Amino acid sequence: MGAGVSNILSWMVWLPIVVAMILAFFPRHAVTAIKSAGLAASLVTFGLSFVVLQLFQDGIANFQLSESHTWIPQWGIRYALGVDGISIWLVMLTTLLTPVVFLSSWNAIHKHPKEYVIAFLIMEAAMIGVFVATDILVFYIFFELTLLPMYLVIGVWGGANRIYAAIKFFLFTISGSLLMLLGIIYLGFLQYHEVGRPDFSITHLYGLSIPMPAQAILFAAFALAFAIKVPLFPLHTWLPDAHVEAPTGGSIILAGVMLKMGTYGFLRFCLPLFPDATARYANLMIVLAVIGVIYGALVSWVQPDMKKLVAYSSVSHLGFCVLGIFALNQTAIEGSILQMVNHGLSTGALFLLVGVLYERRHTRMLADYGGLAATMPLYATLFVITVLASVGLPGLNGFVGEFLILAGSFKTHPTATIAATAGVILAAIYLLWLVQRVFFGPVTREENRSVPEIAWNEVAAMVPLIALMVWIGVYPNTFLRKMSPSVQKLLTTVQKGGQRGQVMVAETLTRRFAAPSPASGRGTLVSGPRPAQREGR
Amino acid sequence: MTLTPLIEPGWLSAILPEVILCVAGMLLMLLAAFAPKLREETAPLALIGFIIAAWSERLVVGGRFFGGTYEISGITRIFDITFLLAAMLATLFAREYLQRENIEGGEFYALLMWGTVGMMMMAKGLDLLIVILGLELLSICIFVLVGYHRRIPVSNEASLKYFLMGAFATGFILYGTALFYGATQSTNFAEMGRVFATANPRDPLLSIAFVLLMSGLGFKLAVAPFHGWAPDVYQGAPSPVAGWLSVAPKAATLIAVIRLFAAMTPLLQHAMWMKMIAALSILSMVIGNAVAIAQRDLKRMLAYSGIAHVGYMLIALLTLRDDSVAAIAIYTITYALMNIGAFGVVSMLAKNQNDPQTLDDIAGLGFRRPFYGLALTVCMFSLSGLPPTAGFIAKFYIFKTAVDSGHVTIALIGILTSIVSVYYYLRVVYFLYMKEPPEREAVPVGGIFATGALAISIIGIFLIGIFPTPLFEMAGAAARALLP
Repeated sequence: MGAGVSNILSWMVWLPIVVAMILAFFPRHAVTAIKSAGLAASLVTFGLSFVVLQLFQDGIANFQLSESHTWIPQWGIRYALGVDGISIWLVMLTTLLTPVVFLSSWNAIHKHPKEYVIAFLIMEAAMIGVFVATDILVFYIFFELTLLPMYLVIGVWGGANRIYAAIKFFLFTISGSLLMLLGIIYLGFLQYHEVGRPDFSITHLYGLSIPMPAQAILFAAFALAFAIKVPLFPLHTWLPDAHVEAPTGGSIILAGVMLKMGTYGFLRFCLPLFPDATARYANLMIVLAVIGVIYGALVSWVQPDMKKLVAYSSVSHLGFCVLGIFALNQTAIEGSILQMVNHGLSTGALFLLVGVLYERRHTRMLADYGGLAATMPLYATLFVITVLASVGLPGLNGFVGEFLILAGSFKTHPTATIAATAGVILAAIYLLWLVQRVFFGPVTREENRSVPEIAWNEVAAMVPLIALMVWIGVYPNTFLRKMSPSVQKLLTTVQKGGQRGQVMVAETLTRRFAAPSPASGRGTLVSGPRPAQREGR
Repeated sequence: MTLTPLIEPGWLSAILPEVILCVAGMLLMLLAAFAPKLREETAPLALIGFIIAAWSERLVVGGRFFGGTYEISGITRIFDITFLLAAMLATLFAREYLQRENIEGGEFYALLMWGTVGMMMMAKGLDLLIVILGLELLSICIFVLVGYHRRIPVSNEASLKYFLMGAFATGFILYGTALFYGATQSTNFAEMGRVFATANPRDPLLSIAFVLLMSGLGFKLAVAPFHGWAPDVYQGAPSPVAGWLSVAPKAATLIAVIRLFAAMTPLLQHAMWMKMIAALSILSMVIGNAVAIAQRDLKRMLAYSGIAHVGYMLIALLTLRDDSVAAIAIYTITYALMNIGAFGVVSMLAKNQNDPQTLDDIAGLGFRRPFYGLALTVCMFSLSGLPPTAGFIAKFYIFKTAVDSGHVTIALIGILTSIVSVYYYLRVVYFLYMKEPPEREAVPVGGIFATGALAISIIGIFLIGIFPTPLFEMAGAAARALLP
C-alpha cells in the first residue's frame, strides 16, 4: 500500500474540517459558491470512502487501513484510526448522508447559509472520526465534537421551540458523555497498573481484565452515555424534541448517523471491554430495548404530527438494534449493524421527504393533508417506497435487518423477541396509516391541489437512498460479508473475557434458582447465563 | 542566627524580569506626567515592556538567591509566563477600553506591571514573608486598578469592598504566619518543613495556624466560602482588570500554596487538613456552578464560574505529586487564555459601564460580529471543558490526577458539577447565535489591540487543546524539579 492511501482515513476526517475553515473566510453573500464548496467537499469525502471500501479487505477481523501517530505521549494517547467490519458501513452511511443533506437543503436554508454549511462539514468530520478512532480518547474527542455543530443547527435553524430542544439535546448528551469521560480516565488508570505505562488504545484495552464490581460501574458509565445517545427507553425524551425542532438536514443527520454513535459505542466498547458486566446486564438492556420498541411504536401511532411520528419510530427501530446487540450472537449482531444502516437510509429519507412537504405547505399535521398522491405522484412514489422499506417489506432493506435481529435473538431470548415482533406489526400500522392519511382519500384542503412536485435536488438526494434500500433488500451479502469476521472476533472477545464472568453469573444463578442446568452448548456464544431460561421463568 | 551574605553573585540576572517591570512601570509614570504627547502610546510601550520582561526570562539562571529565600526554577518560569501572558492580554484589552471610557493614563499599565512583580515574588518566595510581601504589593495594585474607573460608582464600590475584605484577609494570613513562626521558629519553607517532619499532626497550634493561613489565602483564591467579594468586585472593576484579576492573582496564590503544601507533605497525610481542602474544593464547585446559573450579568457569571474553576484546581492539590503540580500549572495558563478572553469580549461592549453587562447585551452578536462571537464561543466551550479546546486538556489532567491518587468521589463531584456548568456556558452561546438582538444594542467596538488579544486567546486555546505535548513536557519537568 502506497504512502498516499495509508492515511486515507485522516484525509476523510480532515478534508471537511479544512474546507470548513476555508469557508469561514468566504464573503457572506457568495451563497452559491459556499453551498457548492460544501457539496463538493462532501462528495469528495464520499468518493474517498469508496476508496476505503475498495481497499478494505474482506475476511480480516482487525482494524484495517490503520494509522497511528504519537499524540500526547505523557498520557499514552495516540492519534490512531482504523476501520473494521463494524464501522465501515457506518462510515459509508455518514459520507453518504452529508451530501444528501446539502442537496436536499439547497434551496431550503435562507438564514445564514454559510454557517449552516460549516456546521455540517465539521459535524461530518467529527462523525467519521467517531467511527474510525481506535484510541478511546480520540473517540471521545470526536464524540463530543459532534455536539456543538448539532446544537447550533437545532438552535439556529430549527423550528419554533428550537431553543428548548437544542439545550435539552446538549445537556442530555453531555451528562452521559462526561460520566463516560470519568469512566475512560478510570479505565486508563487500570490499564496503567496492568501494563505499566499509560495506554488508551482500544485494542490494547480489550486485553484488560477488570474485576467485577469495577466492571459493572464502568459498564454503567459507558452504557449510560450510549443509551442516551441511542436513545434507549427511558432516556429517549430528548429525541422527539430535537428531531421535531431540528431543520430537515439536522434531523437526517441526527437520526441517520448520530443515534448510531450510541449503538456503535455499545458494540465497540461496552461489549468487549466489560464482558462480565455485559453478560450480567444483557437482560436488562434487552428489556429496555423491547419496551422502547413497543412504546415508540405505540406513541408513533397516536402522533398527529408527521415529523414526530417519524421521530418516535426511531425510538422503536433503534430498540431493535439494541436488542440485536445484546442478544450476543453472530446473526443478531450482524442484523443489528445492518439495521443501523437501514435505519439511517430509510429514516433519513423519511425526514427528508417530510421536510420537502413542510417546505411547501408549512405544516406537518396529518389532518392538513390527504389525497396528495394525485398532485405529487413522483413524491408519493418515493414516499411509499421509503415507508415500505421502513416497515420491513421483503425485498427492501428493513426486512433483512429486522429478520436477522429477530432470528438471532430468538435463539437466546424468545420471549423478548416475540414481544419485539409486535413492534414490526405496529410499524406497519402507523406507517401505512401515515401514507393513507397523507396521500390517499379525498382532497380535503384546497391548498393540497396545487402543491408543487418534488424538485430536482430533492430527487437527486433521494435516488441513492432508494437504490441502496433495494440493494440491501435484494442482496444483503455485499454488506454482511464485510462485517462478519469483525463480529465474530467481537463475540470471541466477549466470550473469552466473559468466561470468568460466566462462572460468576452461573454461580449467582445457582444460588438463586437452586436448580442449575448444565450448559448445553447450544449455538449461542455466551450461553453461560442461559438467558433463555431466565426469560422464560 | 548566622548572617549569610544576602547578595549572591548573579542576583541581578535572577530577578531581571522583576527589575525590568519595576523600571518600566516607573518610566511609564514619568512619561505620562512629563510627556503628555506620548500618553497615546503608553499601551504599546507597556506591551513592549512586558515582552522584554518575557524575553528576559530566557536569560534568568535558575537557583536560590538572597539567602535561600528566593528560588528561580522551571516552575517559577512557567508561572512567570502565565502572569506576563495575563498582563499582556489585559493590556491589549485595556487600551481600547480606557480610550473609549476616556480614562487612559500611564499609571494603569504601571500598576499592572508592579502587580505582576508582586505575583512573581509570590511564585518565587521560599519564605512566607516574601510571599506576603509579594501579596501586599499585588493587593495595593489591585485596589487601585479595581477602582480605576473613578467616575462611576460601581467601580469605587468594588475597590472599597476589595480593600476592606483584602485587608481583613491579610490580617488572617499574617496571624497564621505568626503562629507558624511560633510553632516552627521560622518562616522559611525549608526550615518549616524540617520541623513539620517531626511535628505532632494533632498540635492545635499548627491546626489554627493552618486554618488562619488558608482562610486568608482562600480569600485571594476566591474559593467558597471566602468568595463573597468576587462577584461584586468583578462586576464593578473595569472589565480588562476583572479578567486579569480573575486569573493572575489566583495563579500566584496557588503556586504559593503548592510550596507551602510541599513543605508540609509529611504532616498532610495525617492531619485533617486535606479534608478541609477537599471541603473547600467541593463547596467551591457546587456553589460556584449552582449560583452561576442564576446570573444574568456576564461578569458576575464569570466570577462564579471562576470560583468553580478554583474548586477544580484544588482537587489536584489533594495529593501533591509532580503530576498534580503540572496539572495546576497547565490549568492556570489555560484559564488565563479563556477567562481573560471572555472578559475581553465583555470589555468591548460599548455601554454605560455603571450598568450591568447582561446576557441581553450579547444577543445576536454571533452573526453581527462573527469574530467576537466565535471568540466568546470558543472561550465558553473551553471553560466548560469540551474538546478539542485547552479547557478539556486542563480539566482532563485534573481529573486524571484525582483518579490516579484515588480521589474518585471528588472527581465524580467535579464531573457532575461540570455538567451543571455546561448549562450556563451554553446559555451564552445561545444568546450569541439564537437570540434576536435587542432594540438598543451595545455593539462591541474593538480595534486592532482587542482583536489581536482575542486571536491570541483562540489560537492559544486550540494550540494547547490539540498539541499539548510541549507544554506537558515543560510543566512535567518543572514539577518534578519542584517536588524532590
